[in-house]
Amino acid sequence: MMRPDPRRADRLRLLAGLALAGTLILPLVPLALWSVAQGWRFPHLLPQAWSGRAWAHALDPASGVLESLALTTLIALATTFIAALVGVPAGRALGLYRFRGKGIVTLLLLAPAVLPAIAVVFGLHGVFLRLGLTGTVAGVILAHLVPVLPYMTLVMAAVFARLDPELEAQARTLGATPFQTFRCVTLPAILPGLMTAGLFAFLVSWSQYLLTLAIGGGKVQTLPLLMFSFSSAGRNDITGAIALIYILPGLLVLILTARQVTGRGAALTQGLRP
Amino acid sequence: MTRLTLKGLAKRYAGAGQAALHGLDLTVASGSLTALLGPSGSGKTTTMKLIAGLIAPDAGDIRLDDRSIRDLPPERRGVAMVFQNPLLFPHLTVAGNVGFGLRMRGLAPDRIAASVAAMLARVRLSDLADRRPAQLSGGQAQRVALARALVLRPEVLLLDEPLSSLDATLRDEMRGLIRDLQRETGITTLVVTHDQAEAVALADRIALLLDGRLVQHDRPEAFYRRPASEAVARFFGGVNFLPGKARGGRFDCALGALDLAPGLPEGPGLLTIRPEAIRLGPGPNPLPARVQAVTFLGTQTRVDLGVEGFALQALVAPEAGLPLSPGQEVTVSLPPSALWLLPRPEGAA
Amino acid sequence: MTDRTRIALLLAPALLLLGGLFLSGLGLTLLRSFRYFPALGLTEPDLGAYAAILTSPGFLRSLGLSLWIASASTVLAAILALVAALLLRQSFPGRALISFLVQLNLTIPHVVGAIGILYLLSQSGAFARLAHAAGLIAGPADFPVLVNDPFAIGIILLYVWKEVPFIALILLANLQTLGEDHESVARSLGATRWQAFRHVLLPMLAPGLAAASALVFAFAFGAYEVPLILGQHAPKALPVLAWQAWTDTDLATRPEAMAMSIVIAAIGLALLALVARAVRQGGE
Repeated sequence: MMRPDPRRADRLRLLAGLALAGTLILPLVPLALWSVAQGWRFPHLLPQAWSGRAWAHALDPASGVLESLALTTLIALATTFIAALVGVPAGRALGLYRFRGKGIVTLLLLAPAVLPAIAVVFGLHGVFLRLGLTGTVAGVILAHLVPVLPYMTLVMAAVFARLDPELEAQARTLGATPFQTFRCVTLPAILPGLMTAGLFAFLVSWSQYLLTLAIGGGKVQTLPLLMFSFSSAGRNDITGAIALIYILPGLLVLILTARQVTGRGAALTQGLRP
Repeated sequence: MTRLTLKGLAKRYAGAGQAALHGLDLTVASGSLTALLGPSGSGKTTTMKLIAGLIAPDAGDIRLDDRSIRDLPPERRGVAMVFQNPLLFPHLTVAGNVGFGLRMRGLAPDRIAASVAAMLARVRLSDLADRRPAQLSGGQAQRVALARALVLRPEVLLLDEPLSSLDATLRDEMRGLIRDLQRETGITTLVVTHDQAEAVALADRIALLLDGRLVQHDRPEAFYRRPASEAVARFFGGVNFLPGKARGGRFDCALGALDLAPGLPEGPGLLTIRPEAIRLGPGPNPLPARVQAVTFLGTQTRVDLGVEGFALQALVAPEAGLPLSPGQEVTVSLPPSALWLLPRPEGAA
Repeated sequence: MTDRTRIALLLAPALLLLGGLFLSGLGLTLLRSFRYFPALGLTEPDLGAYAAILTSPGFLRSLGLSLWIASASTVLAAILALVAALLLRQSFPGRALISFLVQLNLTIPHVVGAIGILYLLSQSGAFARLAHAAGLIAGPADFPVLVNDPFAIGIILLYVWKEVPFIALILLANLQTLGEDHESVARSLGATRWQAFRHVLLPMLAPGLAAASALVFAFAFGAYEVPLILGQHAPKALPVLAWQAWTDTDLATRPEAMAMSIVIAAIGLALLALVARAVRQGGE
């Protein structure tokens, strides 16, 4: 094929790629700089003085940032755990079987996954108010299940759809009990998918803002709520520090799953959220 | 009608230790139907993609008659390729697929429609013109893929394993269709296949590739009667090889001195005979043999023989000289006209 | 155990939990949007809340703003994502790092991105400082208003920044599944590089692109925290207006808040249904 000099084409692609990558991290730059700035007035390009004050404050138990971090983690872990417990069986039903009403079930799962939280949150608040769940961590966890559970179920359905059902039948004919079959054949086969689904489900809960705000009613202060209040108060330095803490789990998840995401990412992308 | 010439064509994929193709020289005669035969990994598909312009060669040239097409983009080569899978465009109808290339050339819609209709009639798919690819059977899809390439009247048509995705009955039908269409149009055609029986049944000429090298380019029957090397003979099902020395029209080997047909070279060599050429019973070059095993293969019977401590394999018609049973003493004869001499493999004394 | 019971048992927990949460939430929202609210003494359902918002200029301006935000973000993000996916599909030195950054962006919560954009684009933000250093502006007031602005430029930029990787990754997964063979066929049938892209690759990517774009549209149309941080005071984006009506001390505005969230849900669902149908038809 007639091509221009391949090295030049490579350089052009790299250049375009770098422009893309640069744009992608650009909004993080001022946050990172603010977190170590002491006074950074217009028109200075860099902070006038560097300081670890914001970080000291963020990491000081008295400031509540660490407590909020622990709370956000707890909520995301609990949400993920419940979603896995309930979503794996449902994903199995959707991925392995054809049945009447599958369309309706899929629709019921898709709707909360794609509809914005604002569509249900007011009504959900009314229901939770009656149940005494508003302003509680349990209420927030339940509310987070609205976007997280469909995500988990749909990803697991994709994982199960790629599992050969004959594999389990084969194990049974070789003398494995149903439990042994699950433990020694099915689970190892779905584990990579389950891990990926779990990590991203964690991130979906981790990123929630509106559901936490409405159901928690200000009493459940997760990191995004705390960060927003510091930002509104003009404390750009502490906002920057919290922002960096807040994006850390995403970075970790990505490092843990890098191969699955770039490789056969079908399972993940089927459940990807904007 | 166009002659396709490959000159010193070489390709090594980035990161691969071995070259996929080592300086291939091949001339495909104008209007011929040539099979490019070889086991998987022998460089067949690489050769196809180089000719189609989908990858660039490291060295060598590709010519249509006397023009080099090496540096032309795929769409300007006049070479159309049909892939192993039909690869129909899922968003277009059958007619849309067949008319694709003409549309890319900017032809008027009514002219495209006329060509497409004629082509679809020729491959007996007229009633499926408005179907989507997803609604076709495997055989139908493959016919659409063939029609899609032929409607362009390319100078050279490349077919990559066109029958491998079809089952046995469809295969015969498709093979016949390819032969007929090729004869009618006279388009110089190169078919890649790994199946020697298919190459023999389909092509006028066969080019055999082993390990990225062309080892023999000949008429199909030559690969049985006059293979160029032991490897070629083995690829075509040869199993009987006897080392020895040819001298004065005879071959001295472990079985004694065997008469040869005139015209064979003198000196050390490897004698080969097709299993189906061995006769059970007296005749020229008679040898005493003991039957080791008899295997019924349907249309033929395979007889494993021990001759002077040497194993020979014969394929005979099921009725010929039967019944045979293991342990039986028989006489076999090796007709001189069926004996062929190969160069001794390197390293052998 | 028959397959039917097995399937029912496998699905039951998820359906009960999700049905309980999502359907009751949506149901109650719907009920209250019809002004059925016994606690406030409203026991006769009617369409008063819808009538009120549909005749309110404030609501219509917010609806228009949110539609503008969602459309502009989706179109820009889809085009750029297509370019990015085609770029990332090629192999070139440095690609691994760039795809890592593309995916990293996917994990960053919208709130963080929104505050980052705010610090970047505000009149005293990083770009304004660069413009000052370059001698282009004398002070913050000279820098164009890019956040909390009437055209929602900051909001749109945030969504483009955040959703280009989202759409690009979906397209990349599609491209991997499709492989390059269809394009190769097209080239060998006489299509130029551009024709192979335009007539073969693009139509084959279209269903995935449409589905991803619909998700982006629905999100950008209904998200709350982004316009909260980057939006202007008035008109507010629809979700922010709905939240304001819901938290108003005057409880009488609550049915209107509910009606607004139903409008958001309905527009989102209608769009998704449209895309789902188009995708199904295209796939046949």
